[in-house]
Amino acid sequence: MLPLSIKDDEYKPTKYNLLLKLSGWFRSILADKTSRNLFFFLCLNLSFAFVELTYGIWSNSLGLISDSFHMFFDCTALLAGLAASVISRWRSNDSFSYGYVRAEVLAGFVNGLFLIFTAFFIFSEGVERALEPPDVHHERLLPVSVAGLLVNLVGIFAFQHGGHGHSHGEGDHGHSHSLFNGSTSHGHSHGGHHHHDKHADSHSHGGHHHHDKHADWHSHGGHEEPHYNDELQHLPGKGSSKQILQGVLLHIIADTLGSVGVIISALLMQKYDLMIADPICSMLIAILIGVSVVPLLKESIGILMQRTPFSLDHALPECYQRVQQLQGVYNLQEPHFWTLCTDVYIGTLKLLVAPDADTRWILSQTHHIFTQAGVRQLYVQIDTAAM
Amino acid sequence: MEEKYSSNVLSGGQLGMVEVPDSRLTRYIVLLVISKVLKALGIFESYDILKVVHIVQFIFILKLGSAVFLLFFQKPFSSGKAISKRQWIKLLKHAVFSCVISLLGFFGLTLCGPLRTLLLFEHSDVVVIALLGTRGAAFFIIAVICLLLFDNDDLMAKMAEHPEGHHDSALTHFLYTVISFLGVADHKGGVVLLVASLCLKVGFHTASRKLSVEIGGAKRLYALDNLVSALVLLPWVIVLSATTESKVESWSSLVLPFGMIIFSVMILEFYVEAICSAKMETPRCARYGALALFFSALLLANFWTHPLTDQLRSMSKPAHYGSTEHVLSGGVLVSAIFFIMSSNILSSPSKKGQKGTLVGYSPEGTPLYNFMGDALQHTSQSLPRFIKDSLKQILEEYDSRQIFYFLCLNLAFTFVELFYGVWTNSLGLISDGFHMLFDCSALVLGLFAALMTRWKATRIFSYGYGRVEILSGFINGLFLMVIAFFVFVESVTRLLDPPNINTDMLTPVSVGGLLVNLVGICAFSHAHSHGGKSCSSHDHGHSHHGHSHSEHSHGGHGHSHGGHGHSHGGHGHGGHGHSHGSGGMNANMRGVFLHVLADTLGSVGVIISTILIRQFGWLIADPICSLFIATLIFLSVIPLLKDACEVLLLRTPPEHEKDLNNALEKIEKIEGVLSYRDPHFWRHSANMIAGTIHLQVMSDVVEQRIIQQVTAILKEAGVNNLSVQVEKEAYFQHMSGLSTGFHEVLAMTQQMESMKYLNDGTCIM
Repeated sequence: MLPLSIKDDEYKPTKYNLLLKLSGWFRSILADKTSRNLFFFLCLNLSFAFVELTYGIWSNSLGLISDSFHMFFDCTALLAGLAASVISRWRSNDSFSYGYVRAEVLAGFVNGLFLIFTAFFIFSEGVERALEPPDVHHERLLPVSVAGLLVNLVGIFAFQHGGHGHSHGEGDHGHSHSLFNGSTSHGHSHGGHHHHDKHADSHSHGGHHHHDKHADWHSHGGHEEPHYNDELQHLPGKGSSKQILQGVLLHIIADTLGSVGVIISALLMQKYDLMIADPICSMLIAILIGVSVVPLLKESIGILMQRTPFSLDHALPECYQRVQQLQGVYNLQEPHFWTLCTDVYIGTLKLLVAPDADTRWILSQTHHIFTQAGVRQLYVQIDTAAM
Repeated sequence: MEEKYSSNVLSGGQLGMVEVPDSRLTRYIVLLVISKVLKALGIFESYDILKVVHIVQFIFILKLGSAVFLLFFQKPFSSGKAISKRQWIKLLKHAVFSCVISLLGFFGLTLCGPLRTLLLFEHSDVVVIALLGTRGAAFFIIAVICLLLFDNDDLMAKMAEHPEGHHDSALTHFLYTVISFLGVADHKGGVVLLVASLCLKVGFHTASRKLSVEIGGAKRLYALDNLVSALVLLPWVIVLSATTESKVESWSSLVLPFGMIIFSVMILEFYVEAICSAKMETPRCARYGALALFFSALLLANFWTHPLTDQLRSMSKPAHYGSTEHVLSGGVLVSAIFFIMSSNILSSPSKKGQKGTLVGYSPEGTPLYNFMGDALQHTSQSLPRFIKDSLKQILEEYDSRQIFYFLCLNLAFTFVELFYGVWTNSLGLISDGFHMLFDCSALVLGLFAALMTRWKATRIFSYGYGRVEILSGFINGLFLMVIAFFVFVESVTRLLDPPNINTDMLTPVSVGGLLVNLVGICAFSHAHSHGGKSCSSHDHGHSHHGHSHSEHSHGGHGHSHGGHGHSHGGHGHGGHGHSHGSGGMNANMRGVFLHVLADTLGSVGVIISTILIRQFGWLIADPICSLFIATLIFLSVIPLLKDACEVLLLRTPPEHEKDLNNALEKIEKIEGVLSYRDPHFWRHSANMIAGTIHLQVMSDVVEQRIIQQVTAILKEAGVNNLSVQVEKEAYFQHMSGLSTGFHEVLAMTQQMESMKYLNDGTCIM
């Protein structure tokens, strides 16, 4: 009907020209701190890679050229992170009804996968070299790897800052929880109140009554409203700072480790002629990367596969039980709970209730119970049992 | 009203295991530690004895001694039920196995010395089983690798060139030749041997559990087992002592050390372990035991060669062995630390207890869990049976069968290539073989995904595992992207500086690869084009068959019924089949197909460039070919990635978008429905589209009817997992009381108000 068509016009992406679009992206990148960091670091990395490439072509050194391509490959990870942090802020439209928030999870996943690939390649190369150590000429290796290390160190510092933001986000999260708890107590205190409302409802629908109610809500909502808004605004920012940052940070750390390994092995080779040091270093680094990536991958796969969120694992049975103890609820069927993006949980469940049960009350109580557990969006289908 | 659910049964109660206070367990822990220290001592002692006594004799004496002792204590014949003939046979098998394992174990001991043996061999079953799926496994593996690579026990290298006359029996000779055939030093061979026998031991223990129940208790089994294995070893020992001359000067001086070893290694440890694992949980028992054992082993290794202990030792050591004592190298220390960490992590009480699947609720309201989870089933299932089951599952369905056959073909080709490469010592073939193995990983992934999609939904994965398919397709696509990127980069560098390729070896291999891949392409493209069709036609066929049958048998009455069902089914399935055909939605198969296609392209490229290079000497042909191929792969992967991304981002399925919009319009027109909000529809897996919607209805309609109508409408549009939340006005009042989403609620109520007025108006008019 009417609202739908209006919504359609409003949210449909209008056609900009390319320049406007670019500038819009640019602005949105610079608007958020995470993506700004990412962007600057990407620029730094890219310029380094280009310098390396041009120098390599100029001096016709194959090693430098291939290293610069490796840098470009690294840049793809950053690019993925950046793209995700921009995309995840796009608004939802008709086809993407949940919005693009999942892009961040996807970006984390892709980054993790890339890292696994890289680790695998490094490992296989390390094995190959361990079996048959080639003589590496290490005179050129050292400066390049030191420079790479410096660049990556800058990145780590930048994102450590981001990590701070992340921890801030966590703090906020805790805050929101306390908000929920606070609202819980409110709900309790309102128990009597809603009785009164219902009572009033059975009266005629007087206009003044509604006004009255509105005023009532306002007075109550007054101190909660800013919180809620705050939280809503925090949602994308916080989300983008978690999975993406984790992936990118891991990537950078892996690169740094790689540089450190190269430097150490170059030193060892120069000083002691330990040719075996290089493959062993690279194998260790590969293992380290692989191990450190696993949690990220596990988490993002869990989210992408609509797993029940880890943090709700223990809270849910309790909630189910409380719902089943509500008066008139016979049974609880097909509970699905999943994570949309970081800290946003969505759930659907079906309740089989007695024919004479007060479905509205059950509905709101169920919502209340699961909101307490941290489920943002809940869909409760109430089926009346046949007698 | 709050009382209904505020009687919170679970608020304080943890669902985990009940922790027994430590103080009560202290004496058991002390007992355990003492027994472990004694065991370490015994192992060190036995290492010394083994230098003198032949290994078979040694084991015989151990088994006999403990059997006598246990017969005295346990009285396996006089007590308990009689043992049948079949059980005796089983017992015999059991004993032979245990003999083999102890032979391997003690042989490993002679090879790598007591400290390394203790580190490697003495892990309890719990730890090793936990290895299969936890993080501590990494530590464990690192520790083993440390022992293998970094432990430069150079004295061992000396022993590697052992004189042939040194071995006294066929068995030790055989083991020595096996190890020297593998081309590693004795001590490394010992490490490998010990790890292998550790695995054997754990498997053996698990297998013998059933037997011990049959026989009547683990202790009785142990006693009988010792007796029987002593009997088994008896003939061998007799032959040995008849044929070879003993190196032992006087057996009498060995009585004391043997007694000590029997007591500490065989008997005390067994009893104490049994008691402790009965009193404490097994993991904790394993942890303390392992800690005590490792630390005492480290200490002993440090002080064993000390002159002070020489005096304390009961047996005087032959002088010439003094030089080949095992050193305490850095590698051993590091690996010991890693072992300690890993056994600590692995045996730490896991949270598995809380991961049981929720079965339901007891009448009192406490949740009931099913702990017969995956872990238990997996361990109790025997390996051949597991393989058989999964094979059956694989062969059941078209997709996985296809992948499986192709995987076998690919693997066979790879192994032929590898063997041939190793034989002719050609590095190119070997590296190509490894490349093929890498390709196989994509196939394995696809196969695994095809299997996993059929798993049932669990409590954790409430929608089932259907998404694995899409994820696997996505991963395969990404894989290909990365490969294409690397090929691209390499070809660019080669373009700048074309290397000299020797083309003799390339052609046959690449032709072989091409043939294999062509078979794959045929199979998968068949599956690809058919897959959609055959799948849908399968469904169709089934439903149709059923219907036509019912029509035939039921006659007129059934006819109308059948017709009705037919139209309904036809409609639904039509949409279904459509989705299959248009999307080619099985992302998994698409990914695998693309991978095989890329490989084929690669082989073709290699062949073409080889021909060009040979005929015309164009060295530039190779990089250009690979550039071209990389671009092709890249372009072909993009659609797959895009589709998979869309599904993963929870997009409304594009092929249903129109239907869904129509359906939403229809929903609005249902009588009593005021409006809807938050309609979300997304594809979960190839054949499941989930949807959720909130409906606002007038306060005087029957909710159940609306739910049914909406479900029917949306099912027609293709949504087959739907939940509808019907809201009446009172709901918002409740919710406002509970203060969730205040602004939303406000907006909605206002909206509803206007609607109501409008509705009222129409009613009046």
